[in-house]
Amino acid sequence: MVIAIDGLSLGAIYALIALGYTMVYGIAKMLNFAHGDVIMVGAYMIYTLCSLTWTVGSLPIWAGALIAFVVSVVVCTLLGMFNEKVAYKPLRGASPLAALITAIGVSYLLQGVAQLIWGAEQRSISILDRLGTAKLGAYSIRWSSIITVVCGAILMTALTLFVKKTRTGRAMLAVSEDKGAAQMMGINVNKIVSITFAIGSGLATFAALFYLPTTAISPTLGSMPGIKAFAAAVIGGIGSIPGAVLGGILLGVVEVVCNSFEATASYTTAIEFALLIIILLVRPIGLLGKKRRVKV
Amino acid sequence: MKRTKLLSAIFAIVMVVAMFALTACGGGNGGGGDVEPAGSGSAPAPAAGGTIVIGATGPLTGDASSYGISVNQGAQMAVDEINAAGGLNGIMLELKMKDDKAAATDAASAYDQLYDDGMQVSMGSVTSGACDAFAQRAVADGLFVLTPSASQQSIIEQGDTIFRLCFSDPEQGALAARDLAGKYEKIGVIYDTSDTYSTGLYEGFVAQMEELGKADAYTTRTFDQDNKKDFSAQVEALKDCDVIFCPFYYTEASLVCKACTNKGLTDMPIYGCDGLDGLAALLDDTIKNPITYITPLDVTSTDAKVAKFVEDYSARFGATPDQFAADGYDVIYVIFEALKAAGVDNADMSSADMSAAVTQVLAGGSFSYAGITGQMQWTAEGACDKILNVVQLQ
Amino acid sequence: MGEAKKKKPLANGSWKNYITYIVIVAFLIIMIILNLTVGLGRGDKSTLARIAFSCILAVSLNLVVGFLGELSLGHAGFMCVGAYLGCYTANILRGATALPDLVTVIIAMIIAGIVAAIFGFIIGLPALRLRGDYLAIATLAFGEIVRCVFKNLKVFGGAKGMSTKIYNNDTLFILAFIILLIVVFCCQNLINSKHGRAVIAIRDNEIAAKAMGVNVTFYKLLIFIVAAFFAGVAGVLYGSTIGTIRQETFSFNYSIEILVMVVLGGMGSINGSLIAATIITYLNILLQNQISGALAPVKNIVYALILIVIVIFSNAPALKGFRESIAPKALLAKLSKKKPDAGDIRSDEAKWDRIPTKIHIDEVLSADTRKGYANDPVPPGEDVVPMEATKDELYQPTNRKEEN
Repeated sequence: MVIAIDGLSLGAIYALIALGYTMVYGIAKMLNFAHGDVIMVGAYMIYTLCSLTWTVGSLPIWAGALIAFVVSVVVCTLLGMFNEKVAYKPLRGASPLAALITAIGVSYLLQGVAQLIWGAEQRSISILDRLGTAKLGAYSIRWSSIITVVCGAILMTALTLFVKKTRTGRAMLAVSEDKGAAQMMGINVNKIVSITFAIGSGLATFAALFYLPTTAISPTLGSMPGIKAFAAAVIGGIGSIPGAVLGGILLGVVEVVCNSFEATASYTTAIEFALLIIILLVRPIGLLGKKRRVKV
Repeated sequence: MKRTKLLSAIFAIVMVVAMFALTACGGGNGGGGDVEPAGSGSAPAPAAGGTIVIGATGPLTGDASSYGISVNQGAQMAVDEINAAGGLNGIMLELKMKDDKAAATDAASAYDQLYDDGMQVSMGSVTSGACDAFAQRAVADGLFVLTPSASQQSIIEQGDTIFRLCFSDPEQGALAARDLAGKYEKIGVIYDTSDTYSTGLYEGFVAQMEELGKADAYTTRTFDQDNKKDFSAQVEALKDCDVIFCPFYYTEASLVCKACTNKGLTDMPIYGCDGLDGLAALLDDTIKNPITYITPLDVTSTDAKVAKFVEDYSARFGATPDQFAADGYDVIYVIFEALKAAGVDNADMSSADMSAAVTQVLAGGSFSYAGITGQMQWTAEGACDKILNVVQLQ
Repeated sequence: MGEAKKKKPLANGSWKNYITYIVIVAFLIIMIILNLTVGLGRGDKSTLARIAFSCILAVSLNLVVGFLGELSLGHAGFMCVGAYLGCYTANILRGATALPDLVTVIIAMIIAGIVAAIFGFIIGLPALRLRGDYLAIATLAFGEIVRCVFKNLKVFGGAKGMSTKIYNNDTLFILAFIILLIVVFCCQNLINSKHGRAVIAIRDNEIAAKAMGVNVTFYKLLIFIVAAFFAGVAGVLYGSTIGTIRQETFSFNYSIEILVMVVLGGMGSINGSLIAATIITYLNILLQNQISGALAPVKNIVYALILIVIVIFSNAPALKGFRESIAPKALLAKLSKKKPDAGDIRSDEAKWDRIPTKIHIDEVLSADTRKGYANDPVPPGEDVVPMEATKDELYQPTNRKEEN
């Protein structure tokens, strides 16, 4: 039970990150390797602003945390859009691999700048974990896990609705189907791509907030969750929003279950990635991926 | 195809420049290499007696960089103090520390560069993996190494000139096992299977537990470097134990504490080794677990030497020193004292000769030094004898 | 440089293949002479060895990424397998026999290559089923699994890593460069052979290649096996240079670094890979040595900025005109006051860029008749201009807007 909740909560975090990967891939057709580092920046922003509002501003803990979080979301959203404008937009129309390499460059850059600003030593801050644990019968479950799972579910539903119901969301779908046709229909492709990056980065900040109760902040915080979320996006079928959620939760549960047993804990990473390969061999387009017919 | 052609042309030009630089470096080899930007602190005053170059590598970037930076700062502080006090009879000391990202690859190339830069004695590398590659080369060159913190047992076994200032991992693990087995019935252990320090401690712990006939008194869970950001699962599995033994670094230990707090295990004792030094800075008011760890440095100590070091360090770098800073500081003083004891009076001595002289002093058995990490003596194998304190953090 | 061979591989271009060898040999000879006369520093010699094995890695990865057109993010995994098993063999041989070190290392390399090739075969199998990003993440997963398994194998030292003997520093770089020459020779010949043309045909249009009777399964596996073999060999060279083999070296960051070399050098260009590998390896070591102490994070920033600027500069469609205006050929033409030959300047790189990876294969496949390409069924002389226009419509709507 506790393992299940822990797994779901980690899975929700992976799913939130994977959504960013999947949306950017669906629309810009590029792998945004710097996505994990946006989480890192988000975590640092929350850390710095919380410390500031608590000590300098001497605000109550929750008010300070809320302000810090909102500002962090805004900053990360702007950072995502800025990255897109400066590093990726000039390469639209060039090889996707070129964009992949600049994404890696941006990732290194963000890590370097973070180390320069905040130093290399790990930081840690308690926000959601201040809530303590809830007693559910015989089990004690931490509130932060529950909040992560619930908020994760709300965010994912909201995102699905946004994409399906709003004009902008439908424009995003159109752009991901056929950029040229979408443009001819009067959709501002540049704006849509910017919005996609903004949403992805905003979700990454949420992921950072939910990740903080279990982790410490360092300049390389984002790289491994980034890769695992990428794996989750691929397991679910890259480009598919429900797929990213499914993949993220699957990977999170597998990771927590593996870590719980002595025999498997040191092979956790291998097991996760082996699972990925097996799923891909059985279904080469991921669990919920769309089949694309190859035209000759 | 023009694009590749153009790129090739750009690269060709850069390569010509690069080759030129490379050959220029090679040619200027005798001159002692390039100007080294000083890591921090004041440049040593031009000395009449020349300069002795102490080489070192450590992680200055990347995940492990806090250890390397601490050692660098502690060692640099010692060097500046010694030089300000006149050096070794007028001979100045110079510390050259290169970044190795805690990786063997970079430690190896950093060693080669340091060698070209005229390194005469060295403090090896900060982390075990890097020090392995460093020591292997040092043995071939007969270079003296006194590593501040590379505690893997096999490192000093590589050759006669390799010494360490810290405890070896198995020794410390055994000490922890004796201490823990006496106090607790059910011990939970988490260790990092991808880290040499952690596996070394764990192996020492297990061996000692078996010797004590308590092989079934502990339960083990593991993690690795790709999977060390969330300890909920491991702590959940160990929640019925009386204590959690954390033979790894404080960065991960702080996460174990967090996981305990999240699980409502606020009175679960946490026990660790010298890697836990520095943990206090990472914990905030939400964590109430009693924490005990083995350490050579006690920053709250009233010992005058320690107090002065803590004060100076805090004033200069704006942070409380951790054990790594203390180790770095002590290493420089030990090297300095050993140079003095060996009667080194010429900065132009070859690295092999100077190293041989220092090695003889340390391996001789009569040399001892009272540093801020305790009273130290060395065996001919290179191990360091000193007393470990057990510190309690509330 | 040698790219011209791609245009006319069979006619008068063949001598250009030798330029690569001549440059490598000349570079090596200069270094040997320098070593004997002025005396190279030890750091320089190990830098040279590192350059050599980086070049081997880049060239072999280029076979997969540039020529076969499959994105692989697990190249360091093959190197890891080779380094561990090769150096383990070398350690056993050194203990059991009194062979000269050179022979030991060469035997180790062959064994490392074979074992890595077996793994190449294993990872090549999913390559038959997966496309683009899916294959990329599968190879990335493979690399991480290999690392995780070696971490847990006590035979190879587990987390503590494995020590092996460092090869004589004075001759290591010569050995490394000779092996590099052999690797380049093998790759050039493979690419310029019938098999190489089949591989390129698969990259350009797998379905058409299949229809023409090319054995896609065989060639995909062949390329994966050959690339893995050379990566395994490079692993032994790595072990002999560094002396300590630890699994965390071969993380996916290292695979990415090799990929960066290939992409910067130009996919499908062996010379480009060689140059880019040399520069990136040297840049890394240079930054490590020049920036130390508290400024260490700056080097990551510098490295990242250089990467971003070079990629944007050399790939951005918006800068195409600028690039062409400073291209060596255009400059030469300007110097000689001659208008550049229209046939030469006509550039199809925007389309060419998409082809090497199959990320976009479904779009590319719908119109993929390019002109002036080595193994193109359309001879360079034939005009396919109307097709070009259609392709522009298909490919670059946004891009065109930006340029206007």
